[in-house]
Amino acid sequence: MIKKSPLSIGKISLLLALLVWVVLVIVDLVRIFALINNLDSGIAEEVTWTLELLFFLCLFLLYRYIFKKNRQADFLTLLWSGASSGLFAAGAGLLTELIYFNLGDSKLGSEPFLQNIFYHINFAWTSAFLFATALLWRHLILYQKSKQVVKQWQVFELAMGVALLFVFFNHNNLDYSFLFGLVILLFLSILLSVNLKWIPYLTYKEKWKSLLFLFLILFSASILFYRILSYGNEARLLINLTDNLFLMALFGFVFVYGLFSFLVTLFNLPTSSVFEQKLTEAINFQKLSQSIQPEENEEQVLDILLDSCISASFSDGAWVEFNPSEQLQLPEALRFIDSDTHVALTSLLPAKNRSWTAPDRSDPLLPQAIRLAHSTYKSALVIPLVVNRNLMGRIVLLKEVKEGFNKEMMSIISTFSRQACIALENHRLLNQAIQNERYQEELKIAQRVQKALLPLHLDHPASFDICAYSNTADEVGGDYYDTYKVDEQRFVLIIGDVSGKGTSAAFHMAQMKGVFQSLIQLGLSPAAFMKKANAALSKCLERNHFITASIFSIDTEKQAFCHSRAGHVPTLWYRAQENKSDFISIEGMGLGILRNQRYENHVHEKTYGYNPGDILVLLTDGIVEGKNEKGEQFGYDRIKTLVEQQHTQSPQEIQTLLVESLHHFVGGDGMIDDDYSLMVVKFD
Amino acid sequence: MLQIEKIKEETYDTLRLLGEVDASNSVLLDQAMQEVLQQGTRYLLIDGHELSYISSAGLGVFMSYLDDFSEQGIRFAIFGLNEQVAEVFHILGLDQLIQIVPDKSTAIALPHVS
Repeated sequence: MIKKSPLSIGKISLLLALLVWVVLVIVDLVRIFALINNLDSGIAEEVTWTLELLFFLCLFLLYRYIFKKNRQADFLTLLWSGASSGLFAAGAGLLTELIYFNLGDSKLGSEPFLQNIFYHINFAWTSAFLFATALLWRHLILYQKSKQVVKQWQVFELAMGVALLFVFFNHNNLDYSFLFGLVILLFLSILLSVNLKWIPYLTYKEKWKSLLFLFLILFSASILFYRILSYGNEARLLINLTDNLFLMALFGFVFVYGLFSFLVTLFNLPTSSVFEQKLTEAINFQKLSQSIQPEENEEQVLDILLDSCISASFSDGAWVEFNPSEQLQLPEALRFIDSDTHVALTSLLPAKNRSWTAPDRSDPLLPQAIRLAHSTYKSALVIPLVVNRNLMGRIVLLKEVKEGFNKEMMSIISTFSRQACIALENHRLLNQAIQNERYQEELKIAQRVQKALLPLHLDHPASFDICAYSNTADEVGGDYYDTYKVDEQRFVLIIGDVSGKGTSAAFHMAQMKGVFQSLIQLGLSPAAFMKKANAALSKCLERNHFITASIFSIDTEKQAFCHSRAGHVPTLWYRAQENKSDFISIEGMGLGILRNQRYENHVHEKTYGYNPGDILVLLTDGIVEGKNEKGEQFGYDRIKTLVEQQHTQSPQEIQTLLVESLHHFVGGDGMIDDDYSLMVVKFD
Repeated sequence: MLQIEKIKEETYDTLRLLGEVDASNSVLLDQAMQEVLQQGTRYLLIDGHELSYISSAGLGVFMSYLDDFSEQGIRFAIFGLNEQVAEVFHILGLDQLIQIVPDKSTAIALPHVS
């Protein structure tokens, strides 16, 4: 088998149809010639019938191909193609009639060959019209396919196939079997004709158009049928092609379905607006359900919502108003009413529907129908718009009739508004998420910058070892530590903690570093350093912020350190000789608490001598105040015990053990809710 | 969690703090102090019997009002702090600026410090 492309099927069947038709004409003319001259043409009737059958088959293939190709065409285009072919066939028939009317009784007028040629032409056009329309009906019937409908159609097609062959048994006699066949086929046609599901999908305007086209189809079918009947009575036509059960049944089918469609479309006209309304609502609903893109604005959604509500309720007027906190403005907030009417109507609404107080949680905020005492508008529907539990706005619909809003309208409008509000809510959440992401990025940068504020390398001589660690509760924190080498023997250690945590603490920490780095250059004694630092920081700290700090000025030659404490967590000093540790108690007030000269009375310094093996552990309060599930604090004693037990370890190991112990104490994944830092020094 | 009870008595106002004051709720303490000050109190007491923890942010709130108290001659005292919380005040040196006493009667009996 040669596989033909679908394109060639149409062309081939068209060519074949033409060819068969030409052969049919020639065969019939030969037969007529023989009949007139009483000769034996040697051609049996069956040849004509077979050719006719072949012609029908070609038409069937042709139109089936055409419809397959135009499957996506809309109903009106299809109906028009049926109507136009009908008009063409009917026109051709009438034209022939006209020619013969003009010819009158002239010789040419009674010329049998010419007459038969015209008859064949009309037969061809009529058949083409019938096939076109029948296959159009098929398309419409099977528009919403169900198993049952498809089966019905197959039965009908089978019956028509039988009717096609009927002529070979019946020999074109109008007997009872003919009538019986016709009745059965008509019955099947009527059965199929209830499948009119395509009609409701037409809009009101389209229905009018399809009524016209259906009328044209019916009209042409009637004319053609009438002409066929008149052919049957004409003695001049010696060969009858049209008194054929198949053709008659086809006529019947075309006419019956056309008539049903016409009537149903006609009776559907008054209710079509309801169907259209439902369709619009469905489309509106879909529009509202679509989530808004981040760059789109909320006004568009509200605009669609307002339009949808108006069209769903057939409102005579409407407006939308927003909670003043929303800062929303719709270009067309008033619909079909002027601003004066709007003001007048607003004052007529109940106070509850005018205020912007936060909605009660128990109040479901459904659309509410209200009676209006207004000269034009008699009823109103107030639809609250709730986004994130906030009453963001409301839509007011107006009608000129009393109680103009029925239950169905209210339920669809409530669905609309809820859907729109969900879209708005999602839109806002999405924007928030994007914003949050941006903040996260910024914080990451801040984190990186702040990490750089802590020293990478800690200055120290060979005579002591040192390490430090800092961790923040949030991305950034307020802890600070640093070392400074004054000369080969003298080193300064400093640790500081800004009150609070997070971003504000981080900024103050940066200021602290600036101040400390400047002051440390001056070679001040620890207490003097604190006094200057207090004076400097008092000018730049927020009123409710303070900084605590500890400073150690170590002289490795003298084996002594001078220490001052400004409100900071006391430092643990492990003394190797006594194998004992204590928190160094020295009075001292935090920086920025007393922002005047009086501070100088509240800070002190003291010099201590140390021995090899001594350990200093500088801490911030995050470690001491680390809490476990029971709410107990890590406290000073645990630190003290741990250091006493682990005093032989290196500073790094002591540090690691302390941090691990703190995490273990706080519990599995318990977050330590404050910044914490420590610095461990061990003298050799 | 922090709860603040305001108790108004003849010559003094008391803020009773229950729970913990940390960075997240120190603003509540600030609001409460603000309100009491706006009502024109002359003697403000803080009852810390039920205060289990105070963070540096909470201390910052008390600190920020010290100037107001001395300027307007308002008497201010904290009483009933547990050892741990009192230690926090002490370490920071705030006990040198704020009267911190064991109980209410001692607080009331304090001489007026100008």
